[in-house]
Amino acid sequence: MTRLPAAVGVVILLAAPLLTNNSFFQHLMIMVLFWTLLGASWNLIGGFGGQVSFGHATFLGIGAYVTMVFYLSLGLSPWLGMLAGGIIGALFALPIGLICFRLRGPYFSLATLAVAEIVRLVALNWEQLTAGPMGLLITTLPPISFGSMTVNWESKLPFYYLAVALAFFAMGLTYVVSRSRLGAYLMAVREDIDCAEAAGIDTVRTRVVALVMSAFVVGLAGGFYSLYFRYVDPDAVFAISLSVEMVFIAVVGGLATTLGPIVGAVVLVTISEIFRERFQAGHLIFYGLFMMVVIRYMPEGIWGRLRLLLGRNG
Amino acid sequence: METLVQSVVSGVLTGSLYAMIAVGLTIVFGVMRIINLAHGEMVMLGMFGAYWSHTLLGLDPFLSIVIWAPVMFGAGMLIHRFLLREVIPKGELNTLLYTAGLSLLIANLALFLWTGDYRTLSLSYAVMPARPFGIAIPIPLAIAFFMAIAISTGLYLLLTRSDVGRAIRATAQNPESAALMGVNVQRIDMITFGLGTALAAAGGVLLVPSLYLFPTVGEILIVKCFVIVVLGGLGSVPGAIAGGVLLGLVESLGAVYVSVAYKDTIGFVLFLLVLLFRPAGLFGVGRS
Repeated sequence: MTRLPAAVGVVILLAAPLLTNNSFFQHLMIMVLFWTLLGASWNLIGGFGGQVSFGHATFLGIGAYVTMVFYLSLGLSPWLGMLAGGIIGALFALPIGLICFRLRGPYFSLATLAVAEIVRLVALNWEQLTAGPMGLLITTLPPISFGSMTVNWESKLPFYYLAVALAFFAMGLTYVVSRSRLGAYLMAVREDIDCAEAAGIDTVRTRVVALVMSAFVVGLAGGFYSLYFRYVDPDAVFAISLSVEMVFIAVVGGLATTLGPIVGAVVLVTISEIFRERFQAGHLIFYGLFMMVVIRYMPEGIWGRLRLLLGRNG
Repeated sequence: METLVQSVVSGVLTGSLYAMIAVGLTIVFGVMRIINLAHGEMVMLGMFGAYWSHTLLGLDPFLSIVIWAPVMFGAGMLIHRFLLREVIPKGELNTLLYTAGLSLLIANLALFLWTGDYRTLSLSYAVMPARPFGIAIPIPLAIAFFMAIAISTGLYLLLTRSDVGRAIRATAQNPESAALMGVNVQRIDMITFGLGTALAAAGGVLLVPSLYLFPTVGEILIVKCFVIVVLGGLGSVPGAIAGGVLLGLVESLGAVYVSVAYKDTIGFVLFLLVLLFRPAGLFGVGRS
């Protein structure tokens, strides 16, 4: 029973952009997938491990800048650049994790916020590397062809399929982790860190490993960001609000679930992008509203609640 | 030497305003054990309140505090009664996320209503700074400083000399024992939250002639407040005051002697170091 809806979902995802030429709608779908990707990777550490990070934009920004800088100054293909962004993001997660995981609960959250702000300020002021508030711009992406088919970078389609692939990767990773020993350790840490410690779990290592995985995927997403928008500046990719949006999508969709982030992203991103089209400012009103409603009335999130109603546990 | 004195003076003046806002955050934490991420938005609302009453009614921003502090006191009590009270028992992380939602909601409603434009409030007496002993002191900042001292003294007297104040301190020490001694803890929570909100808004009113205002200004201020309350020890009122002045000094001395670009970074690094090595705060009075 679970295979059929999954297969239908995959077919719809792959065929969807062929049904419309409306570029707003295509952009909307890409953004939904992009935020699914971010929500799912945040969920790895925030949902399963219960470590509410308010600093994930750090890894997004690092991924975006690594891709940009490697391409612009070293001529490295953006594909490899994206991967490099993920890896360097993951490397940064190591010291950040080792520092911040000495703290618990809200103190951890505040520390991640401080680290993210430090990184943002460094990016803003290290002008030789990042061009500071001016930002970096890619005018053309290098051509790539599969066999006889050349990828048309001016169309949104290649970005859509790239986003689908990345979102699947992130959700697949979440699924695998949730079934693995690491997932069990993480949930033990979330439920009671002292008990987990007493049961012989290396709680620091568990959390650092999860953070590194999460940072890797967010770094990839950063690379995707820089290719799709072709422009990065510190306030665009290191902003606190990005970190906060990731948290909201994961929580509203459903903490520690595989499909929660996509549900959260569909609901929140669709509403906010439509709002952004119509009004000039304030597109995050519904993020705040949904967050408050979810925490108060269904802390398991929209997908978590649906799952209970459907009586499934997949 | 003159530069040093000048930056110490401006650091202390700005720091006193930070301190007042941070005291609001710290008493709420002390009594309810919640970190209110929407605290910065309360400051923002105070700033916009003073801005609009000046622009529309021609009311002096410093006088408008007698309107906005009580209004926000009431608003804070209502927020606690109808929004927060049911959520706090769900745990500190849920409450943190809930107040993050509230913060985003208020900031974006403000963006929607007032757009993201930067605004300034210009006062006729703010053009020329006073120059006692050759040190430039912006007049609005000086007025704000003395008002902040007056308000903090009033708060100190309230906390130490009145029954409500004693009940607040008792609840902060131990809610169960306070309840056993006949303190209505729910009511004290509500009053404390109102007080915290009023302090934030009052801070905003005092800051408005000296700072740009825009709907997301709370984001910057709340981060500064965290730095301050952690420096001073979470939950400690004297700690928050000392932390506020300290951060003001670090920022203004850092801007002069280290670099303007990295002045905010120094505060964050200090914050991380204190969080890691002295979680009870520099003065060892907070709760870790």
